[in-house]
Amino acid sequence: MDKLLKDKKAIAVFVLPAFILFTLILFIPICQSIYYSFCDYDALTKPEFVGLKNYKNLMIDDTMKIALKNSLFFLIYSCVTQLIMGLILAGLLTNIEKGRNFFKNVIYLPCVLSSAALGLLWMFIFSPKLGINQILARFGIEGPLWLMDIKGYITLPMWVIAFVALWQYVGQSMMLYMAQISGISKSLYEASYIDGCNRVKSFWHITLPLIKPMVGTAMSLNAIGSLKFFDLIFNMTEGGPNHKTEVLATHLYTQGFKYFKYGYASAIGTVLLVLCLIMTFLINKLFKSENYEM
Amino acid sequence: MKKKVLSVLLTVAMTASLLAGCGSTGAADSAPAADASSDTADTSADASSDTAASGDVEEITWMFWDDLDATEDLISKGYKEVIDRFNSDYEGQYHVTPITTNLEEYYTKLNALVASGETPDVFIVSPGPNLTTYVEPGVAADLTSYLDADWKGSFSSDAVFAQQTYDGKIYAVPLNIAAACVFYNKEMFEEAGATVPKTWDELIDACEKIQAAGHTPITISAGTAWCLSMLAGYLCDREGVDLTKIESGEESCNNSKTIDAANKMIELSQYFQPTAAGDTNDVATAGLYNGEAAILIQGSWAIGQINGENPEFEQKCGVFQFPEIPGGNDPNRVIAKSDSLAMSSTTKHPEAAIALMKYFTDDTAQKYTAEVGGKIPVTKVEYDASKAPAQLADVMDIFTNASSTFGFYNESLFSTEAGSTFDDNMVAIYLGEKTPEQAFDDLDAWYAANKK
Repeated sequence: MDKLLKDKKAIAVFVLPAFILFTLILFIPICQSIYYSFCDYDALTKPEFVGLKNYKNLMIDDTMKIALKNSLFFLIYSCVTQLIMGLILAGLLTNIEKGRNFFKNVIYLPCVLSSAALGLLWMFIFSPKLGINQILARFGIEGPLWLMDIKGYITLPMWVIAFVALWQYVGQSMMLYMAQISGISKSLYEASYIDGCNRVKSFWHITLPLIKPMVGTAMSLNAIGSLKFFDLIFNMTEGGPNHKTEVLATHLYTQGFKYFKYGYASAIGTVLLVLCLIMTFLINKLFKSENYEM
Repeated sequence: MKKKVLSVLLTVAMTASLLAGCGSTGAADSAPAADASSDTADTSADASSDTAASGDVEEITWMFWDDLDATEDLISKGYKEVIDRFNSDYEGQYHVTPITTNLEEYYTKLNALVASGETPDVFIVSPGPNLTTYVEPGVAADLTSYLDADWKGSFSSDAVFAQQTYDGKIYAVPLNIAAACVFYNKEMFEEAGATVPKTWDELIDACEKIQAAGHTPITISAGTAWCLSMLAGYLCDREGVDLTKIESGEESCNNSKTIDAANKMIELSQYFQPTAAGDTNDVATAGLYNGEAAILIQGSWAIGQINGENPEFEQKCGVFQFPEIPGGNDPNRVIAKSDSLAMSSTTKHPEAAIALMKYFTDDTAQKYTAEVGGKIPVTKVEYDASKAPAQLADVMDIFTNASSTFGFYNESLFSTEAGSTFDDNMVAIYLGEKTPEQAFDDLDAWYAANKK
């Protein structure tokens, strides 16, 4: 292995496929998109350079403000709830003997299902004429308009969609934490019990510090995933009512594909890219820790 | 040494396979439209691929805004019959594969195909800014030379091409005409003691009586914004708003007539179903034919949907003209709209595409349009009125007695985005997010910033 790593040609040959792929389908489109964000471009005629016009328009775009607010809400909600729920579930499942695999699979299952299908399913569940409200009506309770209410700074449909997203993706965080927890040596826990720790204390003082690097990784994945979140929202509300559940990705989609404003959509995409980079940087700084031998 | 050679070979093979995965093939370039159909959308199950496999068959695609297999809409079913008839008659020569999607997603998906250079050979489009979007950059082909004397002469008049003509050139062929009317449940009206309203006050009175009888007076969709916007458009027109002056910048959006229209919309909204804010067009229409509400303000294209989904409702369903606002504009003006077919300017099979378009406007298709679908035909075809849906006679009365027609407000502005901005502001007024003054000021500001 050492011999192979010293051979620079071999390294180049092995890295080349990934490098070409990365350049072709990621790096070049990103650079193109950044260029288009400074252009008036409808994808049918040649892009015309307009400087910062698209970015200036973004600043006064009311839907952009809603989309940015909702995306940031989604980011915070997902990071916090998936961290807490993921850790709780991982902690519980690593400590049970019977049914661990069953519950692991049940909780992880929504992650592998199609978001489009799940979006439609939950849309039916929250529809006023079907699902939850019909059950509530049997008990004489008038349910709220889950996906239509527009009151409040963060509207009810956003909370509902965020809840569904938590249900869908918490399994992923749980699996990551479980993988890290299962790598911790049992001798550490045994030593802590001898020293008088109970399970909660050992979780707090042994498990949490040792899985800190994984918390950073899972949170980065959550943050990027929530910023570019699209499918559930599009299938449950299409950004409505009246753009109240619009997020950056749905706004980008509408501007690009509905109005042929690819330059403007690219500017939204660039904002999204910058936000993702900032969040990844911040989370990496926050969760920077040494790797311990486990 | 052998190991090195082997590892290099494997790496080359891996790289080649990766690149093959992301590159487009020559075959795709040579038949872009056919490729689009298989990649992008649901294709009609019975658009048989057997004939398409033959090298001599000219394969074309046709894009439409409803699922031809799942639909209960009678007009969509008629289009399916046209496709089947075309494929059967031209077997071995031409073959068309439908690309279908739902109405809400239609233009988004069409635009994605256009942007990727895979424009369908023939596609349905609404006249107005939607068609302009495809005419200005040269996506839609000029059809003037294809409209020979025979074909053009079969249409009821040259006026049916008015909205499809740009600088004297025709870019789309209309398939049918629909008029926006008020559909109502005769039984509910009778039970509530309400009469067909002719004026605004009578409409409010009818709504009051229907509500008092325990029914929801009006079903409407604000989730599909153009539905609410159609009501707003009617109210603006009845109040006497001159859209051409607003469009040309001679008048501000914020004027006493638009404000009065918006206030009337707010007044009427107390009679909407409680879920109007999020209900889609389909859900709102279902509210009428399922007997959940008494009134639906909708285009006559809804007849096919209403009668297709609930045939029993046909006899209970009446139609009246949108009421007059005394002191306002001519009450005999009607919102009219046509479905049109455009052809891609890059199609490699224009003869096949034109042959298909002629099938949509031949006597068989046009008779079906009136007798089954309940829409107004665009050709001189003679149809049996006794076979036509009960509602069509009322619609024809309204249409033939109309003093003039006008387009949807959102389709009469300078761009699709301008239309959407109008729609969004009307929804914002309904939801109480903006006062009418704020909404129309915002519209003025938007037009000032975006009109070229």
